[in-house]
Amino acid sequence: MKENDENHMKHLLKHALPPVGHAEPVRDLWPAMLRRMDEHPAAPPWLDWVLACGVAIFAVVFPTVVPVFLYYL
Amino acid sequence: MNTHPYLRAFLAGAFVPTLGLPLMLAGFVALRLGLQVPFPIERGLVFPLALVPCLWALWNMLWIGSHMRTGLPIGLHGAVLPLLLMPGGAVIATCLGILQVGPSGVTWFHSFYVPYALVAPAFACALAGYYLLWKYIVGFVNRVLGIA
Repeated sequence: MKENDENHMKHLLKHALPPVGHAEPVRDLWPAMLRRMDEHPAAPPWLDWVLACGVAIFAVVFPTVVPVFLYYL
Repeated sequence: MNTHPYLRAFLAGAFVPTLGLPLMLAGFVALRLGLQVPFPIERGLVFPLALVPCLWALWNMLWIGSHMRTGLPIGLHGAVLPLLLMPGGAVIATCLGILQVGPSGVTWFHSFYVPYALVAPAFACALAGYYLLWKYIVGFVNRVLGIA
């Protein structure tokens, strides 16, 4: 490929592709990422609390099933 | 960090049952060796010490491999596991002589009598417990290991 053809190709490519503009974000995103990592997870839904309480109450009322539960864990 | 996801899924799945191993071994030593309980508890340890951790690990690998297609939450996926574990564990326990089936209930470890009326609520509790363990602990370990 001749040098003229290469230059012509570069010219065509430059015109075909839009300029990138601001390649970097306007602000530093890392602090926001750190804040998000430090955020506490959402509290468990009420249904999960009900299930946990139900299992605990069942184990207290019927302690003979606790060894059976342990057998399956 | 996306290398060997199934190996990490295996480790994450085996994490919870493995936590209970020292407690079970301590209980075994205290009862069998310390208090000289005549019942051979070691027969009953085969299932929880060897099979259950392996099944949890394989079940987590199955979730990692399938949840992109099925969209099933990990809690519900874990809650299905007792449907396989309970019958299998009962069959093994019966074969090993640690579960006796009677006319009105079953006796575990020659000591703990569970009437049939209690089996269904106990099974429901097991489903709920597995759901919570899988949702909060296995899910957490999966996230820590970067596979969820």
